[in-house]
Amino acid sequence: MSSLRTVLAGVILESPLVLASGVLGLTASSLARIASAGAGAVTTKSFGTEPRAGHKGPSVVPYPQGILNCVGLSNPGADAMIREIRAYRALSSAPVIASVFGRTVEEFGDVTARAREAVPDLIEANVSCPNVAAEFGAPFGADFESCAAVTRAVKRNAGPIPVAVKLTVNCPGIGRMARVCEENGADIITAVNTIGPGMLIATEVCRPVLSNLVGGVSGPAIFPVALRAVWEVRAHTALPIIGTGGVCTADDALQMLMAGATAVGVGSAVYHGGIDVFQNINGGVEAFLAERGLSSPASLIGSAHAAGRNER
Amino acid sequence: MPASLFEPGLMRTCRIQSVIVHSPSLKSFYLPSSLDAAPGQFVNLWLPGVDEKPISISGMRDGLMELSVKSVGPFTRALMDCAPGDLVGIRGPFGTGFSPASNSLLIGGGTGIAPIRFLAQSLRDRGMPYALVCGARSRCELIFEDELREWGCRFASDDGTCGICGVVTDLLDEAGESGLISVVCAAGPEPMLLRIMAWADGRSLPYQISFERYMKCGIGICGSCCLDGSGIRVCVEGPVLGKDQIAQVTECGLPHRDASGLRLGE
Ligand SMILES: Cc1cc2nc3c(=O)[nH]c(=O)nc-3n(C[C@H](O)[C@H](O)[C@H](O)COP(=O)(O)OP(=O)(O)OC[C@H]3O[C@@H](n4cnc5c(N)ncnc54)[C@H](O)[C@@H]3O)c2cc1C
Ligand SMILES: Cc1cc2nc3c(=O)[nH]c(=O)nc-3n(C[C@H](O)[C@H](O)[C@H](O)COP(=O)(O)O)c2cc1C
Ligand code: FES
Repeated sequence: MSSLRTVLAGVILESPLVLASGVLGLTASSLARIASAGAGAVTTKSFGTEPRAGHKGPSVVPYPQGILNCVGLSNPGADAMIREIRAYRALSSAPVIASVFGRTVEEFGDVTARAREAVPDLIEANVSCPNVAAEFGAPFGADFESCAAVTRAVKRNAGPIPVAVKLTVNCPGIGRMARVCEENGADIITAVNTIGPGMLIATEVCRPVLSNLVGGVSGPAIFPVALRAVWEVRAHTALPIIGTGGVCTADDALQMLMAGATAVGVGSAVYHGGIDVFQNINGGVEAFLAERGLSSPASLIGSAHAAGRNER
Repeated sequence: MPASLFEPGLMRTCRIQSVIVHSPSLKSFYLPSSLDAAPGQFVNLWLPGVDEKPISISGMRDGLMELSVKSVGPFTRALMDCAPGDLVGIRGPFGTGFSPASNSLLIGGGTGIAPIRFLAQSLRDRGMPYALVCGARSRCELIFEDELREWGCRFASDDGTCGICGVVTDLLDEAGESGLISVVCAAGPEPMLLRIMAWADGRSLPYQISFERYMKCGIGICGSCCLDGSGIRVCVEGPVLGKDQIAQVTECGLPHRDASGLRLGE
């Protein structure tokens, strides 16, 4: 019998699928619904210390190959998210990941301390947000030193709760960035956040569609880039990876595992495949394991690297 | 994945063809559209440079989509200034519609008259019998009063300027007696909806109720519109929900969450 059970930094998931941050992650009921739909763990919407309304609409717009979003880190603030995480516990036993962000390294530390009050299973630091202290507000995740500082600040305040750092490909080298996170105490790397930013123009109006002009790209279009990023992270660190970006099918999830992911993030696929996408991917991965007589996804993790090396 | 699955979420632009002014702060807009929409469904309407907001479809006729909007804030105020020829964006139709059934009791309150009007229009087209009641604060907040009256609608207004002086729920017993009601279909302010559900529960009638919640994406991913209880997404599984779905909702009548996701008073 094969099982989908996955161990991620000591946390047990009944499926390697993890609901990605920002997708149906605002409320306890919504998170619990996704857990019962087949996610092994769920991630909250990224939250800061204070509520944020985010950008005006259009802020989430699909195009035929994916989705652009500029929701702008809208969130109800730490107080509300702590309430939701606590309420979630009464509804589901699947692990919950608290995703946090800050505008400064100090804010990252503060919001982590708040998140810890809710005792999530993991804390994920979303370093794709602008560092207001940096020149031009470059994101923390774009710079080795800022990313290291955030990792240390979050790790310091997370106590015994394992910390994931969620990276972006918009950096000098995601493999090296992951190594920096590892050296500064990260327990997990989540790779990747949305890519780009990208833009869509409504030609008749002759104006960008997104209210913010640009937004992060997600969905099927970014899958090959995300997969390559996971591969690179695997090659540079020993940390477990939540491989995220464009995963829509069981085959996509298997590719993520083979590239080195321990768990697989699923976000935009909820649009492309509905909430059933979790059950469908689980079913496909289970069938793949059963066909090969594998008892769990663990033996697949990073398995494509051997082949990659031989052929180079 | 068939391409059609992607279709409704994509942004399309079109020019406003005509506008009906019910009052300075209540207008209907007509947009050329080949969309296949069911009564109860909504679109995300984009005013370039302003915002994008969910609006119910209030009718479909001759290749035109009708949207009826009341001015309540920045977006809807900007819409009141729109004229024929102006370009707008449409995404949708989103969500579930009402299932048309003979002997439906249709109840619309305020801007909730919009989807109810579309439902009445489609029941009439199919020759299905219905009963119709609509209410608003005042006559100047009613859309299509004359046409609805022709369609057999009974009215209630808070100030007595149209129909009985009172609320739509005062008309329910009378409307309920006049025929065999198979299902109650309603849209409007939530306190009204709660009274209607209590009334229908008292008579063991099934119902389909249209809900409004803060929305951003319209495509079921951002989480803004999720209802506490079973996590129903109003933009996908709603806005029209049935009795069994509503029974799982624990936030009926509470203040809605805002753009940040925060519920007022929490
Ligand atoms: C499914 C659905 C169908 C709707 N159909 C109609 C309709 O047919 N006609 C009509 O006049 N109005 C309709 N509305 C309400 C309409 O979306 C709001 O009046 C509009 O968004 C207000 O924006 P504003 O900037 O003018 O006002 P604001 O000052 O921004 O808001 C006024 C109030 O409108 C509501 N609102 C604001 N933004 C949103 C949002 N993004 N999503 C949902 N509610 C919001 C809130 O209750 C808010 O308190 C519908 C709403 C939903 C959810
Ligand atoms: C609407 C939307 C909102 C998002 N919000 C967040 C967020 O708050 N924090 C975060 O770390 N990632 C956020 N993301 C990124 C996703 O978590 C994920 O990394 C990215 O979308 C790629 O995966 P996908 O293709 O499976 O969606 C968001 C994505 C979308 C589409
Ligand atoms: S509006 Fe985004 S999930 Fe419903």
